[in-house]
Amino acid sequence: MLLEIDNLTLRYGRIEALHGISITVGEGEIVALIGANGAGKTTTMRAVSGLRPVATGTVRFAGEDITNLRADLRVIRGICQSPEGRGIFPGMTVLENLDMGAYTRRDTAGIAADLDRVFGLFPRLAERRKQAGGTLSGGEQQMLAVGRALMARPKLLLLDEPSMGLAPMVIQQIFEIITEINQQGTTILLVEQNAQQALSRAHRAYVLETGKIVQEGTGQELLTDSRVRDAYLGVA
Amino acid sequence: MKGIFVDFDALFGHLGQHTVDGLSKGSIYALVALGYTLVYGVLRLINFAHSEVFMIGTFTVVGTWSVLGATDSPAIGTVILLLLAGLVAAAAVSGATAVAVERVAYRRLRRMNAPPLIFLITAIGLSLVLSEAFGIWQGRLVKGMPTVIERSVLFTIGNTEVTNVQVITVLAALIMMFGLDVFINRTRYGRGVRAVAQDPDTAALMGVNKDRVIALIFLLGGLLAGAAALLYCVRYGNTRFNVGFVLGLKAFTAAVLGGIGNLRGALLGGLLLGVVEVYAATLTSSAWEDVAAFVVLVVVLLFRPTGLLGESLGRARA
Repeated sequence: MLLEIDNLTLRYGRIEALHGISITVGEGEIVALIGANGAGKTTTMRAVSGLRPVATGTVRFAGEDITNLRADLRVIRGICQSPEGRGIFPGMTVLENLDMGAYTRRDTAGIAADLDRVFGLFPRLAERRKQAGGTLSGGEQQMLAVGRALMARPKLLLLDEPSMGLAPMVIQQIFEIITEINQQGTTILLVEQNAQQALSRAHRAYVLETGKIVQEGTGQELLTDSRVRDAYLGVA
Repeated sequence: MKGIFVDFDALFGHLGQHTVDGLSKGSIYALVALGYTLVYGVLRLINFAHSEVFMIGTFTVVGTWSVLGATDSPAIGTVILLLLAGLVAAAAVSGATAVAVERVAYRRLRRMNAPPLIFLITAIGLSLVLSEAFGIWQGRLVKGMPTVIERSVLFTIGNTEVTNVQVITVLAALIMMFGLDVFINRTRYGRGVRAVAQDPDTAALMGVNKDRVIALIFLLGGLLAGAAALLYCVRYGNTRFNVGFVLGLKAFTAAVLGGIGNLRGALLGGLLLGVVEVYAATLTSSAWEDVAAFVVLVVVLLFRPTGLLGESLGRARA
């Protein structure tokens, strides 16, 4: 397993936000984490990327215990996150934002190749390379956030709500690219409220409710599961 | 007593002269202002201890010159040596002091997620501790030093005489400003600084070590304060344990005036403040220069609460 989260609890002050969750992500997979607002999806993501300290439990990446590792050192290990709300540096150009993704890297040739790859996936970004990140549209910012994370050449790509606030057509496009990135060999952990898209793209998925995992299975299984359909797919 | 006597002839008869003098005075403010603005831009913290980083720089210059046996107006080769030695020593000691202040005080508070008020009180406390410690160690009297550069007129434009000290001060400040600007906007480390300033969490997700960036901005601020300390010594020829208080306040004002968090704003604010002070001192008397400086601050903030250039370090575009 590339990522193993074992019995993880996490607190905000006295309030326990995650009550012992366990998640695994295998090499080459897309694993989705779905659930309602406040279920703990983003919190789980922040525990994996190292932005929130965990209370108990372990996070292992490629066999190594990274539970207490600083966030910036996890990037070097091969974890890169596209954060919720995209986290575009507003005063930097598109190109500078992408360079930030490669911040820990020194292999100039490899960085240039990855830049071409990102521009290949998102031609819009190539057109706007000199434009300030803050002036992009929501969809373009999301593309930039995903592209920037790819610039770290991660083994594990964390995508937090890539569809948030986007028009349906743009959502479709983003998810197609997510599949394409996965097919090019990057493992993906995906947090989504758009369960329909997430489940149809993911190999496996977990359903999170108020800090607990209540269901897991393959994407297809959960898509056809009656409880999931009632609660998350808006099918009566 | 004649009350406030305004002498327009004194100002407008030699407007160029006073402008040049104001710019050279303002250059020192600008260099110190950069330290406030760098730290504020990244941490949203007003580092009141920065004035003491500057003060320590001036004492370092005094010490260095005394060790090297400096005398009044030495030979040109010696002048260059004394200036370089003073610059290196003051920048090193001020830089180290600034980094130490961050390590000893602020880093612990950050680890504890202390509220902003605690940082502010710590900063004021540190400032007092440092300046009083120098008051005890170095005495509370004004400390003189040799006049290393004899003031002389370098060239004349119209009726404006420009002295060597003014040229050195303004040039040195501009060169360092330019260097800092290039560093922040064009290098990888600079990009890391801007990233932390704009979005610390996302910066960490990109692999930026926030602690290292914070140490770096304190170091940069300290280096510039050390350079400012040398220029101050060349210009005024003396220092005192509390020299940082008023100068720090002015530099902070300059930073706010230009838009705190904005590097070019610090330069603009510093130069503007220097010129305003010299104009005010010429129009009335030097007793009014501080009043004028702060009146300008109040007026500017009334109309532009974010300062003249107004953007944060992170958002300011090259």
